[in-house]
Amino acid sequence: MIALTLLMTFSAVSASAQNKDRRKSFQSWDNYEITTEKVGVDGTKFVKVWGFGKNVDAATMAAKENAVHACIFRGLPGSATAMSTPPICPNPDTLASHEDYFKNFFAPGGPYLAYVSMTTDGVPSGTDRRKVKGGYKVGIYVQVMYDNLKRKLEADGIARKLSSGF
Amino acid sequence: MKKSLIIAALLLACQAIGWSQAKKPTIMVVPADAFCERYGYVQTVNAMGETVTSPDYARAMKENADIRTLVAAMADFMAKNDFPIQSLEQELKRLQTEDAELAMMTGKNSGAEVDETPLERLRRSAKADIILDLDYEIHRLGPQKQVSFNLQAIDAYSSKIISGNTGVSSVANVPMTSLLEECVLSFKDNFLNGLQHHFDDLFANGREISVTLLRYNNCPVDFEEEYEVNGDEYELAEIIEAWMADNTVEGRFTTAAKSANRMRFNQVRIPLYAQNMNGRDVAIDAEAFVKPLVRMLKKAPYKLTVGSSPRGLGDVWITIGDK
Repeated sequence: MIALTLLMTFSAVSASAQNKDRRKSFQSWDNYEITTEKVGVDGTKFVKVWGFGKNVDAATMAAKENAVHACIFRGLPGSATAMSTPPICPNPDTLASHEDYFKNFFAPGGPYLAYVSMTTDGVPSGTDRRKVKGGYKVGIYVQVMYDNLKRKLEADGIARKLSSGF
Repeated sequence: MKKSLIIAALLLACQAIGWSQAKKPTIMVVPADAFCERYGYVQTVNAMGETVTSPDYARAMKENADIRTLVAAMADFMAKNDFPIQSLEQELKRLQTEDAELAMMTGKNSGAEVDETPLERLRRSAKADIILDLDYEIHRLGPQKQVSFNLQAIDAYSSKIISGNTGVSSVANVPMTSLLEECVLSFKDNFLNGLQHHFDDLFANGREISVTLLRYNNCPVDFEEEYEVNGDEYELAEIIEAWMADNTVEGRFTTAAKSANRMRFNQVRIPLYAQNMNGRDVAIDAEAFVKPLVRMLKKAPYKLTVGSSPRGLGDVWITIGDK
């Protein structure tokens, strides 16, 4: 009996820890998937990005944020016909050193929205809309105005210009 | 009072920044030798009985519309990054016009002609500090086409590849111009990132240059001549190496060749700025870096006739025995 109680307690603790880990990884901003679909028109990147949220709208907004986040901090992976894209701010300390700037930049309805154009028509459906525990995970096709985003960060002194110092 | 002091300090800071801008390297897109060979843009020259082929850039630029499209697309994104590239086509035209004008130019009163040594004439050719070596190939897959490209940014002086990009376009039945533009858009950001990395390194560790010292045969001494320094005898080559160690960034340089008649230093890291004769901080290149060495060799105990001749921003020749 004692053994059974101990086993049940251990299982409960283990499940709770797993849930915590799962919640942590969902809360982490680095936990998203993004793929380059094809070479975008001049100055843009055409990507498929996933977002997680309590409902489909929130997940779609999160996906948009993720697309801009990837362009700034993570870079975009390459595909069969498109080369990878380096991040605009390759320095890993950029987010921490300009925390206030990025808090405002990524605030709900913040300036980041000016650099994304959603190209998926309507609400994501089929395999691009998945019901997961705690909400929805959606995948959307997004066109990011990469060059405009880069110019903005250069003008605001966050990213270094190629010609700076000369 | 306090406010005016702050304004004065800000103005001084702005001036200092204005003076200390590093020299901007020039960039030029050049069709790769392999591309010129493949499409027959080569010229054959008979050099001392030996037939040598060299790329005919003027013909490649004139006859190949695709390469013009690529150059235009690259020039566009470089200009957007405040880094306009030099046009090879225009530079070749300028040199042609310059040749014609120099041949006709005479002094107004004396009728004298402009003097030019064979070496000066040879060096008056199209050159840039960073060469973008461009190659592409068209593959036909039935009615569809695909372009594979190879772009290398090469530091003209160290011959090091700063940024290399290879890739393929999508397979499509569209005009070549669209596929070529797609290629440029595909490698653009990676390529710029490679350049940025190179410039960051340049600002952190100094500009990389090469220095060559040559001896004319009328020079009374060679690089093995011994001089007394602090009571000990040292070869001239050792004294020059000590000067390099003292004046390079963190003493970084490699002695690539050392003999009685010739010395060559490469991977020489020089500071971007130095003080000029008026004590002002100015951006320097290879020639400005070696000027103090040239002055040192002219003075006692060496008392040599020394000349320096730049071969661009990052390569300089120093000659002893004559200029």
